[in-house]
Amino acid sequence: MDDLKLLRDFGRELEQEPPATLVRQRRRYMGTAPRRRGRAGWAMMGAVAVATALAVAVPTLLLSNRDRALPMGSGDRPVNVSGVRNILLIGSDTREGPGNEDYGPREARQGSKARADTIALVHLPADRGKPTVVSVPRDSLVQIAACEGSPARRDMINAAYTTGGVECLVKTLEKLTGVRVDHYAEVDFSGFKKVVDALGGVEVTIKQPIEDPKAKLSLPGGRSTLDGEKALGYFRLRHTGDGSDVQRIKRQQSLLYAMLAKAKTALVTNPAGFREFLGAVTAATTTDLNVEEMYQLATSLRKSKPVFVTVPWAPAPDDPNRLVWKQPEAKELFAKLR
Amino acid sequence: MITQPATRAADAELVSASWTDPEAFAELFDRYSGMLYRYVVKRLGPEPAEDLVGETFLVAFSRRRSYDTGYSDARPWLFGILTKLISRHHRSEAARYRAMRRAPLDGDVESPADRVAAGVSAQAARPELAAALAKLPAKDRDVLLLIAWGDLTYDEVARALDIPIGTVRSRLNRGRRKVRAALGDTNPMIEEE
Repeated sequence: MDDLKLLRDFGRELEQEPPATLVRQRRRYMGTAPRRRGRAGWAMMGAVAVATALAVAVPTLLLSNRDRALPMGSGDRPVNVSGVRNILLIGSDTREGPGNEDYGPREARQGSKARADTIALVHLPADRGKPTVVSVPRDSLVQIAACEGSPARRDMINAAYTTGGVECLVKTLEKLTGVRVDHYAEVDFSGFKKVVDALGGVEVTIKQPIEDPKAKLSLPGGRSTLDGEKALGYFRLRHTGDGSDVQRIKRQQSLLYAMLAKAKTALVTNPAGFREFLGAVTAATTTDLNVEEMYQLATSLRKSKPVFVTVPWAPAPDDPNRLVWKQPEAKELFAKLR
Repeated sequence: MITQPATRAADAELVSASWTDPEAFAELFDRYSGMLYRYVVKRLGPEPAEDLVGETFLVAFSRRRSYDTGYSDARPWLFGILTKLISRHHRSEAARYRAMRRAPLDGDVESPADRVAAGVSAQAARPELAAALAKLPAKDRDVLLLIAWGDLTYDEVARALDIPIGTVRSRLNRGRRKVRAALGDTNPMIEEE
């Protein structure tokens, strides 16, 4: 009696040929491939925040095999056949979710709607060449489209999101830029905290000590490791430096870059921790992209270095705390994204 | 069953190429995803198999820089990763074997020893084989199945599991002894190899 032979035969009975869908796993690992860093590219990047969210959310969605698609807008939009894809990325400060209620001014906490804290537009050209990530300062004074019973008006762009959510922000941006927004992805605050905690904190180096009760943050100068709570405070920090949104975008970029670096390290040294991190990212992201679209997006973003830019802007003439888009530069920029 | 034409690049070359060109890693997937799938589907069934194969390459890719290029064949490395991933499913694996153990037999019910002795196929011995696999400690099962179902050699199993070859032999012998006992071989003195 040859027990090994019997076992082998038993194995052959249990054997099944791989399904055709196995090929889908082929590019899965690529989603986590560290993107090559062009010095200039990263230095000038506008919205690494959202690009990071995408870079990690995409493999996660593929991993979890979960389609979180939410139907976006009305069904009467014609199908986009041009091949160009524009994706709106929103870092939201919704206070609706558990763990979100401690943030923001009281009026914002009490039954108010989400505000868009970080807004960016990812443009994928039809030939899937170099993607462009356009960061939109939330302080931009723009003409808000009429939506959900609110009349059109001039206000900060994130007011569109507060008033009418993603759909209103999309409508406003489309009117302003002439760019068609095909998809969106949202990341909210409590999700952000969980992502940082899953990473085991993230390190930042700051020049001046920070004392900011509004962001609930107190940090010594030099190098600090921030947990999720503190990282969020730092991310939202406003009344420091020159207090501008543009400087804040820079801080956010450096923080998100530190997160990305940490995630890469975790992937290599601590796969179990990385899974936890990916889980947190999945839970923190809401999007109407389906798995196939995410997959394509991940591939496009990975293959070529995205160009990061911020909408050309200038201080608003009537309000130094706001800014306006600089014309014709902004128009020229968006014309390239159509 | 696994053949490696001499004309193609060694796995190790692909792994080191992937350090700078991640695309090169895809070739490893094309070579071995089917093989890994066929292995894991035997142990865990089709439901988690596809995902585990993908995850194996995900983990392998993240560790590609620590690959010892002294080994030209990447199979043991990949099987080692897959084995670790399978170990998270050891409960469902055992439950699966137990379910096969309960599968109805066709034909007359004889004692298992008679059937095996009569040279009956593995299909007839299936309940006993499944029961034995279900009861084996995970470490012994890993070694036994890497050899019987993964077609690895002793050396390759040692490398895959990062254990000495003597340990491979002892675990294999222990596993086989239990399988033989389950098949009704009552003579514990017979020790092959």
